[in-house]
Amino acid sequence: MRKFLLSLTILFSFSSFIKAELLITQANVHIGDGAAPFTADILIRDGIIQKIASNISPQSNWEVLEANGLNVTPGLISPTSNIGMVEINALDDTRDDESSLLKSGFSLFHAFNPNSTLIPWNRSNGVTGTISSPSGSAFPFWGMGSYFLLDASMKITGLKDVAMYGRLGSSSGSRAEDILMIESLLRLAASIDLENIEDELDDSLLATKLELQPEDILAIRRLISEELPFVLETNRAADILQAIRLKETYGLNLILESVEEAPLVLTELASANIPVIIDPMDNIPDSFDELASSLDLASILDKAGIVIMFSTQRSHNYHLMRQGAGNAVAYGMNYNHAIRGMTKAVADIFRIPNRGSIAVGNYADLVIWDGDPLEPSTLPKYVYINGKNMDLNTRATRLTERYSKETDKPRVYLH
Amino acid sequence: MDGVFTQKGCEMIKSNYLVLFCAFLVVSSCGESTFQETGQKLRDQAFLSTYQPMVSENVVIVNANMFDGLGNEYKDFDILIRDGKIQEIGQNLVIDGANIIDAEGKWVTPGIIDIHSHMGVYPAPGVRTSSDGNEATAPVTAEVWAEHSVWTQDPQFVLALKGGITSFHVLPGSANLMGGRGTTFKNVPSNSIQAMKFPEAPHSLKMACGENPKRVYGSRRQSPSTRMGNMAGYRKAWIDAQEYYEDIKDGKDVKRDLKNDTLAGVLSGEITVQNHCYRADEMMMMIEMSKEFNYQIMTFHHAVEAYKVADVLAENGICAAMWADWWGFKHEAYDMVPANIAIVDQARGGTGCAIVHSDDAVGIQHLNQEAAKAIAAGNQAGYNISQARAMKWITYNPAKAAGILDQTGTLEVGKDADVVLWSGNPFSVYSKAEKVFIDGALAFDREKPELNPVTDFELGILNPNNSRIES
Repeated sequence: MRKFLLSLTILFSFSSFIKAELLITQANVHIGDGAAPFTADILIRDGIIQKIASNISPQSNWEVLEANGLNVTPGLISPTSNIGMVEINALDDTRDDESSLLKSGFSLFHAFNPNSTLIPWNRSNGVTGTISSPSGSAFPFWGMGSYFLLDASMKITGLKDVAMYGRLGSSSGSRAEDILMIESLLRLAASIDLENIEDELDDSLLATKLELQPEDILAIRRLISEELPFVLETNRAADILQAIRLKETYGLNLILESVEEAPLVLTELASANIPVIIDPMDNIPDSFDELASSLDLASILDKAGIVIMFSTQRSHNYHLMRQGAGNAVAYGMNYNHAIRGMTKAVADIFRIPNRGSIAVGNYADLVIWDGDPLEPSTLPKYVYINGKNMDLNTRATRLTERYSKETDKPRVYLH
Repeated sequence: MDGVFTQKGCEMIKSNYLVLFCAFLVVSSCGESTFQETGQKLRDQAFLSTYQPMVSENVVIVNANMFDGLGNEYKDFDILIRDGKIQEIGQNLVIDGANIIDAEGKWVTPGIIDIHSHMGVYPAPGVRTSSDGNEATAPVTAEVWAEHSVWTQDPQFVLALKGGITSFHVLPGSANLMGGRGTTFKNVPSNSIQAMKFPEAPHSLKMACGENPKRVYGSRRQSPSTRMGNMAGYRKAWIDAQEYYEDIKDGKDVKRDLKNDTLAGVLSGEITVQNHCYRADEMMMMIEMSKEFNYQIMTFHHAVEAYKVADVLAENGICAAMWADWWGFKHEAYDMVPANIAIVDQARGGTGCAIVHSDDAVGIQHLNQEAAKAIAAGNQAGYNISQARAMKWITYNPAKAAGILDQTGTLEVGKDADVVLWSGNPFSVYSKAEKVFIDGALAFDREKPELNPVTDFELGILNPNNSRIES
């Protein structure tokens, strides 16, 4: 059974770094920690942030970028996405976000495509990292998401299986049965004899009925033994209370996603110390689980001290969490908390070391914006990953150029 | 009504059939006249609008920044709203008896219009029992009308209102080649769908190119299963409709057919064509087909590749209704460029007709933000798009595409007072619609939640003493 444990070992590799100094001067620096921005210079050496201070004197061989008051934030990290996993949603053969064999044990890590067009597109819009996550299924545990750095290097930088994803809510059967299933599997996983895992699964009526593989039960075990972050999508107020009970009963490292009815159980959620992932723009009561949905959600949760991260419903456009964050602030969320929710909060909660904030010793994943990063009309001027100035060209810029030129020839000859 | 149909004898006849019969007589008696030339209706119209505006404010908004929807921007302007209409626009208006709203630092725009909505036909909650947007039982269902599926208690109407939406065009879905008629509504929920219909607004015919029809019917082993099957399907329908239309024009005794009523209405020019079409090559085919059968395409919807044929669209007077940045959910949406809207707008010396549409209950609440992204992307691509120009994308142009530009879509004296007062520049994420006037009535006031609409669905649903959300 050792091979299963080995397969869960975290992988982490490093892409290339720039061997030089870069000094960004007079930036309006958003650390990403929820504090207000301040004016400072940022010194980057060999891809690592070395110093953040006012008036750092450049040496003659340093590259200097004058930010002149422009906003600099950490590169954005999407806490859930299809990046590298789905090229075209409606084409199954371009998708790697679903498993037919595995359930909770599904790891999509080895499917990551660093040449996906989603990477340059999202990166040119300020997203430097993502947790790519499995798509939803009828089973309450969907599988595990992995972190990826969006440097588009064939030498992939990532963290394997950083979180479990799943859902609790209306289903074809009763949610009571889903809760029973979650609890039974948590107990089974906690008590299972690792030396005899296949035999024990064979002896479990539930595991047999669900056709669980050893990987499935070992992944669920990590929720308890390693406090693997568990992102549970849920909306109905009563379901949120059930989720809190599960966290407290089983010691889960729970993150709740969507939580459109959270304002109805605000005190309970706040005292359970559970961070959330929300789309602040989704105020549609899409189902009978989401009746309390409103644009005030982010503000209400923020004021209660709940840490907020952002998702977006727009396929392929994970940078639009910025627009969501902007709307959250428009309706009362703290501005600096909104920046944190796209950067350091994600790195901290999903245990991505040395990224997500502008801090000495961290990798220099930075975005320099041409305006307020929460305005939808603002665009990145520069995106740095590991201190490297990233190319902001995309298929879209190539297509735009092709169709903007005057030509007598068929446009297939313009490239 | 204009034209030959104003003869008293015809007006007094109530029955649709008799009116139709009367129309034949009148048209044939006029010899050379055609329906297009006279503006004559092919059929008497059932399910006419019974919309009655709410009581208008008598109000002057002063010191406002203003985008008029015609491409102009004004500072420190005043606008007088009275009797449901825009009465005066200018500086230092001296008004007796009107309530004054000081809009210092705020902005006034025309009411925002969405040319592509499925509110009501795909209402919230999105449950099976009220999911009524696609009559996906045959590839041509021109006989169905989206308005007959609209659930008047859809809470999405009110959410859109809070985003400044005063009118919207509800379309059938895109499962079918010809999915049925679309209808334009004033955003004033009522228990009767007729009471929401925008007066005198034309119906549209929803057509769909590409992947959706061929997927839906191909998966059932029936035609169309390919794009060539799509083309054959439309053309067969137009051939039938042409014959039906010719027979009516010739005064023949034609058995009434709902499907051909709609298609012949397109051929006669009284029904607009709103055509879901992503790919440039398919748009070109649709234009060729419109010439084959002599009808005008009003708008290509979604139009992810409109930038590839922007000049052709401008030359043919066809609008493109687009998202700012949606892509990749299917193959025909793969070639998205964020400058699409700007390129369409600037085609042929700025004669293009670009529309920002939503197709989405969240997006419809933020069309101003979607336009803001499209301005930024256009300017990044080297165009010089002003905010005043971009305001046309969500007001004037969709009003034109919906056939309601004479009544709304701009701030001009005499038009319906469909007006939004924004807390700040409407292209900023931080700005909100503070007050929304529809025909001069205060349909939404952010500062007075107790006066704002709440649908039946929302009343007492989470707590008997509250509505669904309390703001």
